[in-house]
Amino acid sequence: MVHLLQILINGLASGAVYALFALGYTLVFSVLGVINFAHGAMFTIGGYLTYLLIGGAVGANGLLAGWQLPVSLPFWLALALAGVGSALVGLGVEAVAFRPLRQRNAEPLLYLISSLGAGVVLVNLVQLLMGAESYSIPASTLAALPPALALGGAQIRTVQVLLLLVAALLVALLTLWLEGSRGGKALQAVAEDPVTARLLGIDSGAMIRLAFALSGFLAGVAGGLVGLSVSIAGPYFGIGYGLKGLGVLVLGGLGSVPGAVLGGLIVGLAEALVPSELSGYKDGVAFAILFLVLLLRPQGLLGKPVASKV
Amino acid sequence: MSDLSLLVQMGFGALLALSVYLPLRCGQLSLATPGFYVIGGYVAALLSTRWPALSGAGTGYPLTSLALELVVAALVAAAVALVLGRPVLQLRGIYLAIATIALVEILRVLNLNLAWSGGAVGIFGIPQPFAGPGGYALATWVLLALVCWLCARLEAMRLGRAMAAIRDDELAARCMGIPSADVKLTAFVISAVIAALTGVLAAHFLNTWNARQGGFDASITTLAFVVFGGSRIWLGPVLGGLVITALPELLRPVGDLRLILFGLVILLGPILFPQGLITPERLARLQQTLRRP
Repeated sequence: MVHLLQILINGLASGAVYALFALGYTLVFSVLGVINFAHGAMFTIGGYLTYLLIGGAVGANGLLAGWQLPVSLPFWLALALAGVGSALVGLGVEAVAFRPLRQRNAEPLLYLISSLGAGVVLVNLVQLLMGAESYSIPASTLAALPPALALGGAQIRTVQVLLLLVAALLVALLTLWLEGSRGGKALQAVAEDPVTARLLGIDSGAMIRLAFALSGFLAGVAGGLVGLSVSIAGPYFGIGYGLKGLGVLVLGGLGSVPGAVLGGLIVGLAEALVPSELSGYKDGVAFAILFLVLLLRPQGLLGKPVASKV
Repeated sequence: MSDLSLLVQMGFGALLALSVYLPLRCGQLSLATPGFYVIGGYVAALLSTRWPALSGAGTGYPLTSLALELVVAALVAAAVALVLGRPVLQLRGIYLAIATIALVEILRVLNLNLAWSGGAVGIFGIPQPFAGPGGYALATWVLLALVCWLCARLEAMRLGRAMAAIRDDELAARCMGIPSADVKLTAFVISAVIAALTGVLAAHFLNTWNARQGGFDASITTLAFVVFGGSRIWLGPVLGGLVITALPELLRPVGDLRLILFGLVILLGPILFPQGLITPERLARLQQTLRRP
C-alpha cells in the first residue's frame, strides 16, 4: 500500500499541473469560444523566466550565451514574477493574434492559425536567445525544505507536495474570484453572452484581456513548477504539455473550471498508474481517454451539452 | 537540399494540403491527415523491406511494386477512414478537430512502441524505385496533377456542390435531401487516401520511416497550408502547400531567424488575408484582367 500512496501523490501532482494548464485554456475559451494555441509557449516562457530570475545563467548555444540576471531571487518570488511575465506575454498575444480578428468577427479557424503562429514565433525566439539545451532549476533553491517527506511509510518528494499545494491554492483563488467578485461575475457574463454583457455596461474587451492575462499567469506558474520538479527540456517542452492540456480540457468539458481540474487529475492519475514496463505508452493514455470520452460524451465530463442546430 | 528535392517536398506539401482541404470543404475541420500519411508510409516501408518478392531481380526497385504499394496503402487508409469516420464525423467543429488530433497522437505513440513498426528507430533502407530526385519529382507532380484534376472535377459535380452546401448550412442541406453523413464520410475517405498515397512516395523518397513523420506539428502545418492559400477552391491549398513548404528553404539565408519569420507568416496570414490568398472572386477578377489587357 506504501507504493500506491506514492503513485497517488505523483499522479495528483502531475495532474495538478495539467489542471493549471487546462484552466488557462478554459478561461480564454469561455470568453472567446476559441482555443489559444500559443498557450504552450506561455508555459515555456514561465519556465525560462523562473530559471533566469533565480539567477540561472544562459547556456552556450543562445545569442545571450553566458548572460545572467544581476539578481538571484528566492524561488517563490521568481515563480510569481515569471507568472506576471507570462501574463504580459499573454496580453501581447491577445493584442497581436486575437484582437485584429475579433474586430472583424473572423471565423474561429483563423484564431487557431494566428495563435499558433504567435506560439511558433515565441518558442523560436526563446530558442534563438537561450539555445535549445535543457535547463534545470536546482533543488537547492528550496534548501530550507527536506528533499523528501515520509508519509505513512512512503517517501514522497517535497517538490511534488509543493506542486500540489500551489496548484490547489491557485484553483481555489480562481474559483473564489470567479464566483464571489464583481470582476469574476463580469467575466462569466461575457462568457455567457458578450453582446448582452456590453449592454449591461461591462467592458468586454477588458474582460477578454483579463482572461488572457490570467491564463498566461497560470501557464507561466505551471511552467516554473514543472521546471522545478522535472526540468525545462528545451523551448518546445511547453508544446507537448499544451497538447496534453488540450486533451484534459476537452475531457473535463470545454469552458468548465471544475471540469478542467477533474480532467487534469484523471489524466495525471491514469498516467501514474501505467506500469513501468509499459511506460512508453504513457503519452497515449490521455488521448485514448479523450477519444473515448468524445465518442461517448462529446460535451466532456462536466460540460453542458450544447444544443445542436442539426 | 537540391532544387529537385525541394520540388518533391513542395509537391508533398500541396498533396497534404488537398487532403486537409477536402473535409474542410464540407465544413469539417479534420486534422487526421498526418495520421493517414504515416499509415501510407508504413505500408510502403513494411512491404518494400520485409517482402523480398517485391524487390524483383533488377538493380532498382520495380515500379510495379511501387504501384502495388500505392494500391495497398489506398485500400488500408480507406478501410481505416471508413471505420473511424462514422463515429468521429458525428462530432462538430473544435471537437472533431481535437478528436482527430487525439487519433494522430494515439497512432504516434503506438508506432513508437510496437515492435513491427521498428519502434523509435523506425524502418531503414527503404529501396529506391527512382535513381535520383528527378524521378520522385515526376511521380509526385503526376500524382498532384491527378488529385488536382479530381478536385476540380469534384467541384463541378453533384458531390462537390453537396459538400459546399453542407459547409454553408448543414441543416438546410439535409432538408434539400442531401445525405450529409454520407457526403462527409466520402470526403473523409478521399482525404485519407490522398494522404496515404503521399506517405508511400515520401517513405521511398526519405529512404527511412519512423513515428516522428506525423504528429501535432504536421497537423498544424498542413492546416496552415490551407488557411494560408484559401479553402474555397482547390487552387488555394495547392498554392499554400507549395509556398509554405518552400518558405523555410527560401528563408535559409536569414539563418536562425527563419523559424521566427515562418511563425510570423502563419500569424499574419489569417489577419491580412482572412479568406486565404486565393478566392474564387480574386480568380475571376484575375481572369478578367487577363482577357482584357
